[in-house]
Amino acid sequence: MTQDHYREKIRGIHDFIKENLYFNRPDLEIKGEKFNSALIFSLLTGLNKGKELIIGEPGLGKTTSAEYVGSLLYRIPIAIIWGAEVSGHPEQTEEKIIGRPDLGKLNKGTEEVVWSHFAQIPVKIVDEINRLPETKQSMILDGVDRGNWEYLNEMIINEEYCLFATANYQDRGTNTIIAPMIDRFDVVIESRHPGPNIAYLVGKFNEKDRILRNSKAENSIHKILKSKLSYQTKLRQMEEVCDDYGEFLKKKLGIETVGLRDRKAIHAAISRLELDLDANAFTRMLLAELSFCYKYGQKRSIENCEEGCHFTGYLCHDTTNCASNRLPTSIKTYSQALAWMIGDTVVGVEHIKAIMPYTLAHRIQWREEYLSNKERNKRDNPFQIYLAKDAVKSIFNRYGEQSEHLKSALAVGYRLFKGEDLEPVDGDHPVYFEIKRDLGLED
Amino acid sequence: MKNPFDDFRNHRTREREIPLDSIIQSRNKVMSQITKGYEKLLEEEVKELVWLVQYNTVIKAYTLAEKVVKEFEYKAEDIEEFCYELDTTDKIPYLITGPAGIYISALCNYAQEEEITLKLNDLKTQINLLGYRLPVGKKVSVEGNLGDFTGIGMEGGELGVEGNAKNYTGAGMKSGRIRVTKNIGLHTGEWMMGGEIFVGGRVRGLGKIVDGKVYEDEKVIYPRNYRQSNVYY
Amino acid sequence: MVPEEIIKKIWPKVRRKHLFPEMPIPKVSEGTENVALEMKDKQITINTAFSDKIAHKMGFEEVVEALLDHGISHYTYCPWDFHTHLRLFTEAKQVVKDKEQAKRAAGLFMDVVADTYCVKGKKTPLPELYKHIDKGKVDAVIASLYQRIWGIDLCAKEDEEVVRRLARIPYLDKKQWDKSIQKFARVIKALLEVEEEEHRQEGNQANPMGEHGLDGYTLEEIDQGLRDFANQNVGLKEFKETFEDFKDELKDIGYGMEGGMGRGEGTPLDADLIYYMKLAENYSIPIKKVPMEKRGFLNPHSHCPWEIGRPFQDVDVWTSFGKIMPGITQTWNKIEGSTFGERESVPDCIIIIDSSGSMTNPRKNLSYTVLGAACASDAYLRNDAKVAVYNFSDAPMGGKTILSFTSERAKIYGVLCKYFGGGTAFNLNELDPLLEAAKEPDIFIITDMKITNLGKVIGYFNNINNRVTAVYIGENTYALRFREAMEKKKNMSFYNVTKKEDIPKIVLGKIKEYFRGNL
Repeated sequence: MTQDHYREKIRGIHDFIKENLYFNRPDLEIKGEKFNSALIFSLLTGLNKGKELIIGEPGLGKTTSAEYVGSLLYRIPIAIIWGAEVSGHPEQTEEKIIGRPDLGKLNKGTEEVVWSHFAQIPVKIVDEINRLPETKQSMILDGVDRGNWEYLNEMIINEEYCLFATANYQDRGTNTIIAPMIDRFDVVIESRHPGPNIAYLVGKFNEKDRILRNSKAENSIHKILKSKLSYQTKLRQMEEVCDDYGEFLKKKLGIETVGLRDRKAIHAAISRLELDLDANAFTRMLLAELSFCYKYGQKRSIENCEEGCHFTGYLCHDTTNCASNRLPTSIKTYSQALAWMIGDTVVGVEHIKAIMPYTLAHRIQWREEYLSNKERNKRDNPFQIYLAKDAVKSIFNRYGEQSEHLKSALAVGYRLFKGEDLEPVDGDHPVYFEIKRDLGLED
Repeated sequence: MKNPFDDFRNHRTREREIPLDSIIQSRNKVMSQITKGYEKLLEEEVKELVWLVQYNTVIKAYTLAEKVVKEFEYKAEDIEEFCYELDTTDKIPYLITGPAGIYISALCNYAQEEEITLKLNDLKTQINLLGYRLPVGKKVSVEGNLGDFTGIGMEGGELGVEGNAKNYTGAGMKSGRIRVTKNIGLHTGEWMMGGEIFVGGRVRGLGKIVDGKVYEDEKVIYPRNYRQSNVYY
Repeated sequence: MVPEEIIKKIWPKVRRKHLFPEMPIPKVSEGTENVALEMKDKQITINTAFSDKIAHKMGFEEVVEALLDHGISHYTYCPWDFHTHLRLFTEAKQVVKDKEQAKRAAGLFMDVVADTYCVKGKKTPLPELYKHIDKGKVDAVIASLYQRIWGIDLCAKEDEEVVRRLARIPYLDKKQWDKSIQKFARVIKALLEVEEEEHRQEGNQANPMGEHGLDGYTLEEIDQGLRDFANQNVGLKEFKETFEDFKDELKDIGYGMEGGMGRGEGTPLDADLIYYMKLAENYSIPIKKVPMEKRGFLNPHSHCPWEIGRPFQDVDVWTSFGKIMPGITQTWNKIEGSTFGERESVPDCIIIIDSSGSMTNPRKNLSYTVLGAACASDAYLRNDAKVAVYNFSDAPMGGKTILSFTSERAKIYGVLCKYFGGGTAFNLNELDPLLEAAKEPDIFIITDMKITNLGKVIGYFNNINNRVTAVYIGENTYALRFREAMEKKKNMSFYNVTKKEDIPKIVLGKIKEYFRGNL
């Protein structure tokens, strides 16, 4: 099956959800095509085996959007996804999230694990993750990072998985998701209010998710999941039921979905997409501004930026923390997925620009003065996403002015690294200094 | 270790070279040479930031300035730009108007062009000693006001000032012509030995003139109506 | 093909060339032949009459592409934002002295920079366009300049002397734009004067490549631009002058005192007030969050695995499945509950500002006193408190203005910027109504303390319990006396300022402390 065919199917899923399940306004435009950010990013997360944090006011479809995407993309009946969801509250335990001992066997002195649905199925949804204590947040994120879940010295390994975590805005019942945790999310998006007219539609069709129910498939999968078979066997059996469910969706709703092999092929095709030189250089420029410190070698959250520093015009002055290495991974994978979705053969700067703010918003910590300067600005996004969009815009402007110069600097860097006798290209931006550092040529 | 710039191995720069690049490059080079020349003059001539206009100091400074300016090529616009650079002191440590004027005079005298126009209307400081030893065949036109000792020691040539000049204009000039469209100050033509000074506005006072002519608003005020030095009108 | 279709065809290519600027697809309109394009709020509109006129010489698609390249370069490179536009205008005006000529010089400079950037870095038919468009005298000189610096024959007759000078300017060096535009303006000044004279006699000729008015910016961009401009170490006088030069245009597009459409229509724009407003916006402190308080007792919060050696009493039997064994048993983690503290609203604030003869006149020079007071008032306003102002000089003789508590920023600034320049005396009775009108308002007093009735002032402040922050400038006997008398009062803080530039930081520092409840 060709990539075009796969793309058509994924588009079909997207359009179906948009028309029938998740009603919202488009708020993201790429190459003349308009998308709703929550929906498109959820799809990309599903395709990418990513981790997405969905924020928003209560009742605006944060969890349901993830459920629809998970159900249709992975061909899992929606009731199974509901049953596998972990809800965030402080009394959650490892036993409720990952697995528990088989009590009958435990009383007889044997250890055997009964795995939770959450650990077994590929679509993992955590509702209100910020209400979980830190230890539980860490446990979930560790598991999804590596795809393996351990309990009582037993382990299952997920072949494919993606995580959707929702969080309300800060209220009295929530903890903050601390920086090391939040950094593990690839993207943050907001599930917005759709406006009164679309909201009315939502109210009018309030039982719409029933169309995704299939009790036969649900019962079968539930039986498989709670059985004592090996995990690999369960997966095989589950895939067969999922294929049947896929047929059901095709017959009843007219949507063509994708199976495990298809998803693997899509994933492989996505990861083969190359970034063009502009996209590549622009990403490096962003990373430089978020990690550079002239005085202290690199950005650190425990070190203050001096007022008189030469580089006060760059993001390194306005931020307090250093960009992690997860950031470029998130940017690359999501922009590849987006390019694939649109049908492009190369990842360009437009894809990067569209993705970047959502990969950045939750990872940057801003200086107080910067925050208070921007707090009252007119905007159309939650504050953190607005700041990220603003930052990307200003870096992009700088890139626009010197794109050729930067690419030349990187090309010369390649040759210098190989050992050629050349002068490195100079420039004012932190990225030129970083190039010199990489070459061992800094002043 | 993997080359982190591997993705750019085949990149060839696409930016066009346009004539502006070479114009700016060459201009920067010349300005740098001119500025270094001036700094050299200051280093050798100016002790403790004090420089007095005396016969010896002026000659000595000019001799050095001559030597310096002969070492590089420049154009009339470079001279004008240098005047403005002096004004801002961003690139040049300090402006001392005496040596600066001598230096600029040397630049003018040894410029390739026979006719030089300096648009100095927006200069904040007034340059002294401009036109020193202006040779025969050279014409320097200045738009803007000049300071003291304008056209001092001229040896021929023509110096035009669209503006005012101050004191000691044309002092010691041997030959040539000075035209000032507005007013000039005291001691005009002090020890002047030849040549002509035309003033469109007022002459505040004449100096001890040996020979030559001074015109005020097209009327000869020297030698026809000879006056004592520093007599005010 | 109709123009819209051509634009649809070319736009993706042009967008890609300029690295995908965030601009909507251009529109077409039928206008006069003289103006090629307009830009308003990032929307480029191509004039088909102009394009048709040129099209027979170079092809409609090429014309459109060239125009789009020009328009987009203005957006992506020069001037890019309103602050840059203002800076260029201000520098040009220093040379040409005339407002209209400065606008024209700045516009021409921006055209040269944007076009040269485009020609150097991208494949563009712009040179071809310049070859064929009708040019006035100044435009012809610019075309000659392009011919020289691009190295492309544009059939332009060179005004050798002018072009030689213009060609030396480093247009693509952004850091030198301030100096470059001065050089540029200096060289073309004479030409602009001639052009102005011709326009007076023959009527105005529009710039074929579009005027550089304020239409191209949104109100928010203008607001930000003014803020950056004020913060740029530009003096009050310079800001005022530049602001006055753009006042009519700002009014036309609906820019108000509070910076937005509909928020100031009808209120005349006061350059002094806007200056202090924009400058104060650069010193801001965060909005006070609702504090969390500990409740003082422990509650079971979450589970953690039980380890041998840990106490039993907190074991959760249910989640441990009735077993006490490591790896199975879970124990409760107890934490102190927290809740939102009583929502302390930020108290209102009375600002007492001295505008006697010894203080700087804020309408003539930058007054850090007024700036500090402005920062204080903004901080309180942003936290939904109200501000009252007592501006005094020789109050008993009428040299005072009192503004009751209000949240209207323009009014507050209006009173802060008033300057009496007379003697220095307080009328303490006038403070009482203000103190009674709000619940324990904070008081900020900024003065040099040379108050003639200082004794009474000391007595007055001794009897109040409000939080008072006194910022006084310079050391003198009055200040010493005030301080000695008030030192023991816990609700009073004193700051002696030798550098006036420190006033805003001191004021904000104190407010931050107040808002964090550290007093």
